[in-house]
Amino acid sequence: MSAAKHSQAMHFQARAGKEVRNAVLQRALQKAKPLFVGKRAKGIAALSEDKLEFEALRTACEDIRNRVLTDLDVWLAIFEERARASGAEVLWARDGDEICRHVVDVARQHGVTKATKSKSMLSEEARLNEALAAAGIRPVETDLGEYIVQLAGETPSHIIAPAVHKTIGDVEALFAKEHGRPVETRTSADIPAMAREAREVLRQHFLSAEMGISGANFLIAETGTAALVTNEGNGRMVTTLPKVHVVITGIEKIVPTLEDFATLMRLLPRSATGQSISNYVSLLTGTKQPGDSDGPEKTVFILVDNGRANLLGSAYQDMLRCIRCGACMNHCPVYFSLGGHAYGWVYPGPMGSVLTPLYTGIENALDLPHASTGCNQCGSVCPVRIPLPKLMHRLREEQVERGLRPWSESFGLKAWALVAGKPALYRWVMRRAARYLNWLADGSGSIRIFGLAPGWTAGRDLPVSSGKTFHELYAARKRA
Amino acid sequence: MSARDEILKRVRAGVGKDDFSARRALAEAYMAERKRGPQPTLGAELAVRFKSKAESLSSSVEVLPERAEAPAAVARYLTAGGFGLQAVITGDVAGLDWTGSGLTVAARPAVDADKVGISGCFCAVAETGTLMLLSGPETPATVSLLPETHIALVEVSRIVATMEDAFALLRAERGDLPRAINFISGPSRTGDIEQTIVLGAHGPCRVHLILTGTNP
Repeated sequence: MSAAKHSQAMHFQARAGKEVRNAVLQRALQKAKPLFVGKRAKGIAALSEDKLEFEALRTACEDIRNRVLTDLDVWLAIFEERARASGAEVLWARDGDEICRHVVDVARQHGVTKATKSKSMLSEEARLNEALAAAGIRPVETDLGEYIVQLAGETPSHIIAPAVHKTIGDVEALFAKEHGRPVETRTSADIPAMAREAREVLRQHFLSAEMGISGANFLIAETGTAALVTNEGNGRMVTTLPKVHVVITGIEKIVPTLEDFATLMRLLPRSATGQSISNYVSLLTGTKQPGDSDGPEKTVFILVDNGRANLLGSAYQDMLRCIRCGACMNHCPVYFSLGGHAYGWVYPGPMGSVLTPLYTGIENALDLPHASTGCNQCGSVCPVRIPLPKLMHRLREEQVERGLRPWSESFGLKAWALVAGKPALYRWVMRRAARYLNWLADGSGSIRIFGLAPGWTAGRDLPVSSGKTFHELYAARKRA
Repeated sequence: MSARDEILKRVRAGVGKDDFSARRALAEAYMAERKRGPQPTLGAELAVRFKSKAESLSSSVEVLPERAEAPAAVARYLTAGGFGLQAVITGDVAGLDWTGSGLTVAARPAVDADKVGISGCFCAVAETGTLMLLSGPETPATVSLLPETHIALVEVSRIVATMEDAFALLRAERGDLPRAINFISGPSRTGDIEQTIVLGAHGPCRVHLILTGTNP
């Protein structure tokens, strides 16, 4: 799979180890977590003021997404027809490389030297910025978080808050360098001034770029429309000012009607940021009309597979319902211990632990389905009810079925199965183990450093029993 | 095989059904039905709800009995804020007597140098305190986007309950969708530096609404 070549997901353990020791990152994450969780909780609670129920809305959203997925061939045909009828061009891309080829071709046809971008996770899947730069076209990220990450030469660490891992000091250093001014000491009181500075720099890019590139939160089949949800207004800028607009979206992003879109909008912003609605919701159909003073003369949709079609009809089809709100990562204890970069590819958190192995190859992301405490916080907040822990379990099972687990694990499990299947042997082994652990603990009830698995006792003691097995204790109690 | 054919082949294999035209007919019937999801129960009068929601999203709102009074109110607002009395304006509201209140308005698309943009709106949504603007020759999208101050005139009679009602109104009055429908809910904002909310990211820094018609 072509996506695999850019993935660092096989280095998850090493990266995770590094991130948990990164004090700056840990401070940023600890600051962000209660905000993310609190805002969503408030937004969801507010539904009851209008006598709306979260679970009923969830069911409606789940049904809308399932309706599309179970007949995706039909909905794609309808969307394509109507988008074309409205004057847009529709291209298809099998993978990231094909996305890049299409975008570069369109750019060349229209003499584009600079492209402003509204956030598109698919352009991250495709590493589009590198391809544009290599073709002599300057890509400018315009979502403030994406802009910061681009200046740092990094990738987003969160799908909604791409620069959540950056402190104000990091941002100041990047702005000073890019905007050609000395570094100043900044406190949170300076954040409006820093946002203002970015606004002024990016405004000039908006006005001069010949091409705008965006994703789409949804494609509306009924009208052949791209729906774009932003707070900053950059989505409006890149789809209003340049003469060419390229929309890059996954084939699974279709919703049937405007009514269905309205239903999803009751949960998308609330799940992402707790807002009842995002500041700007734009529905973009076709191209500039006769008499219009603004809007693109050319609109191109690139409908992307990159692993999605293979999930249809599979045990993982539920994952295609995802509307990319980020609630799963915002409620994940693993995400908030590591940040997004440890996950090694475009999507972090529980969503990434499922998508990365599925889109880049299960064998290329062996640790990710195990990066879970099984707490199901993600599953319980998901607005389209994706059973994320269940999908991670299924991926683990598939690793076993395909012989992808380390030999020591398979050997250990086989040995365990052998012992557990013979009660007498099991009791004998358990007695030996209980005595051994008690001897190691020297009767103190806990072990400071456990030599067989030192990692377990690096930050805590291992509590052990008094040297008796459960069977022995049970039998003793029964006698008493 | 083209990318399109290859992807659609994979999709068809995944969907695993063959009766395409029957399923297509069902899809068309579903779209025609325009089925709505769970709808909110809005307690207050629509205009009251709209005003309180808009204010909660950091817009300021002034209520006037008559639209003809809007230019004087806008002049007062701009003077009080020190925003200047020059504005770019959309054609749908350009006919009011702006010069009589001391404003210099130009009905044209906005450019970077424009400080104030004045627009009407197609309708407004009470549920979320949202404006619905349509792009068109008379109503360029730039007017509500480029200037730092956006002032919008909203008729109370054009406030509907939900986004679904707004779509119904659009279908009834216009039929086809314009190139751009913009739902606007307050000034642009960002939280990308240390999760601190700042108003005025790329779009307007402030949104002022003039609500005319009956008194909410």
